Amino acid sequence: MNPVKVILTLIPFVWTIGMLPFVNTVKPIVFGLPFLAFWLCCTIPISFICLSILYKMDSGKNEEE
Amino acid sequence: MSNETMALAIIFAFVIGTTIVGMIPGMNKKMSLEEWAVGGRSFGRWLNWFILAGEIYTAFAFLGGSGWAYARGGPTFYILGYGALAYVVGYYVLPAIAPIGRKHGLMTQPDLVEHMYDSKWLGILTACVGVAFLMPYLQLQLTGLGLIIETCSYGVIGRVPAMLIAFTMVAAFVYLSGLKGVASTAVIKDVVMIVAVVFFGLYLPIHFFGSVGGMFEALDAAKPGFLALPGGTKVLDVSWAMSTLVLTSLGFYMWPHFSANSFSAKSPDVLRHNAIYLPLYQICLIFPMLIGFTALLVLTPALKVPDMAFMTIVQQVFPGWALGLVGGAGALACMIPAADLILSTSMLFTRNIYVRTIGQGASHETQARLARLLVLILTAIALALAIYAPSMLVNLLLTGYSGVTQFFPMIVLGLFWKRATKIAAYCGLITGEFLVFYLVLNKLDPFAIAGLHLNAGFVALVVNFVVFVVVSLATSTPATIERKAKAIG
Repeated sequence: MNPVKVILTLIPFVWTIGMLPFVNTVKPIVFGLPFLAFWLCCTIPISFICLSILYKMDSGKNEEE
Repeated sequence: MSNETMALAIIFAFVIGTTIVGMIPGMNKKMSLEEWAVGGRSFGRWLNWFILAGEIYTAFAFLGGSGWAYARGGPTFYILGYGALAYVVGYYVLPAIAPIGRKHGLMTQPDLVEHMYDSKWLGILTACVGVAFLMPYLQLQLTGLGLIIETCSYGVIGRVPAMLIAFTMVAAFVYLSGLKGVASTAVIKDVVMIVAVVFFGLYLPIHFFGSVGGMFEALDAAKPGFLALPGGTKVLDVSWAMSTLVLTSLGFYMWPHFSANSFSAKSPDVLRHNAIYLPLYQICLIFPMLIGFTALLVLTPALKVPDMAFMTIVQQVFPGWALGLVGGAGALACMIPAADLILSTSMLFTRNIYVRTIGQGASHETQARLARLLVLILTAIALALAIYAPSMLVNLLLTGYSGVTQFFPMIVLGLFWKRATKIAAYCGLITGEFLVFYLVLNKLDPFAIAGLHLNAGFVALVVNFVVFVVVSLATSTPATIERKAKAIG
C-alpha cells in the first residue's frame, strides 16, 4: 500500500483516539467550546480533508488504469 | 389556538406528510424483491447520502445526546468523534462489498458472510445475531417516539397511542415502498432535524448566557471538571473514551442495516464519494448537547429522566408551536431509522433464516410477499416490547454496538485476508458475543483492568480478533485460500 495513503488514513485516528489523554481539559475554551469538545469537533474537518485527498488519489489511479 | 392544539397540529402535519411522501414510490407499481429491498441497486450520490446520513440522526442523537450531556457531561463528547472515524473505515469497507454484492446478487449482510465463507449455517448464525441486536434498536426508536409525542403534545396523546399511530404509518410506507420510501422520507427528516436542532441548540445558550462560550464558562464555574472526562461519572474516563471510540468507529458499518447500504449504491464510487461528505453532517450532533448543558444550568428542580432535558427546556421557554416543531422533528428522527431497521430485519428473516431452513426453494414472489408480511409482524413485536419493557436509551445502544461490532473481524478480514477461514469466523464470533453478554449482564461494563476502564465491547473485540487470526492461521489450507480468493475477487 501507498505510504501516503496509510498516513492519511491514520491521521484522523491518531488525532481523535491517540491524542485523547493529552487533550482532556476544559480550558482554554476555544470557539465557545470546552477544549475537549473543540478537539473532538476538529476530527470532522480533519477526516473530511484526509478523505478528500484519498478520494482524489484513488480516482486519479482509476483513470490511468 | 391553544398551545396543545398548535403543537399537535404541527406534529401530525409532519408525521402524516412524511408518510404520504414515503408511500409515493410504491403506489401503482409492483416491486420486485430487489427493487423493494435494495432500491434496484440504483441509488446515486444524493439518495445514498441521505439514507446514510438519515440513519445517524436517530432517537439516540436527539434525546440521548442531550440526556447524556445533562447527566454525564464530558463523556458525551465522544459522540462527536466516532462518526467521522467510522466513515474513514467505511471508505475502505463499503466499496469492497458493493462489487461482490452486484456480481453475486447479494442483498443482506448474512448473504455476504455466507458467500465469503461458503457456509449456509454461518449465514444463518449471522442473521440470528443481527436480528437479536436490531430488535432492541428498533424498540429504542419506538420508546423514544412515545416519549417525544407524549411530552410535546402536553400529555394529550399518551405514549402508547402515539407509538401505535406513528408505527402503523411506518409499517404502511415500508410495506408499500421499501427502501425507496425510506430514502425519500429521509430527505424530509434531515432537513427538519437540522433546522430544529441548530435553532434550539444556538438559541437556548444565547438566550440565557449571551453566547455558547458564556454557557460553558458558567457551567465550568458551577461544576468544575464536568466538561472533561470522566465528567459527572466515576468510570467513563480517558481509557473508556478511547476504547469506546475504537469500538464504535469499527462497529458502525457492522450494523446489518448500514452494511446493506453498500448494496443499494449504483457504484463503489458513490460510496467512496459520500464517505468524504458524511463526516460534515456529524457537526449537527453537537447541538443537542448544547441544549442538554443549558438545561442542566437552567432547569430546577433536577430532572428525574435526563433524556427529557431537550423537551423540558423547550416546553418551559417557548410557546406551543416550538414544542410542536421539536415533537415533529423528534418523531421523524425515530420513524425513519425505524423504517430502515424494520426493512433490514424482515430481509434477514426472509432471505437468511426462512429461505435457508424451512422455506428452501421459495420463489422470489413468495420471498417478496413474506418480507412484506414480516414488516407488519415485526412492527407489532417491537410495539409490544416497547410497551411492556421500556428502558434507558443509551445503554441499549451501547450493548447493541458491542454486539454487532463482533462481526468486524469476520467481515473485514474476510474481505481483505485470503487466509480467513470459516471455522475461525465461528470461533471468533461466538467468543466475542459470549464475552459481550457475560460482561454486560454481570455489570462488568466498563471492564476495570490495571487502572483502566475499558468498554466491554472493546475487550470482547480484542479477544475475538486474536481468536480469529490464530484459528485462521491454524486451519487455512491451500484449498481454502484458493476458494476464498475466488469469492472475494
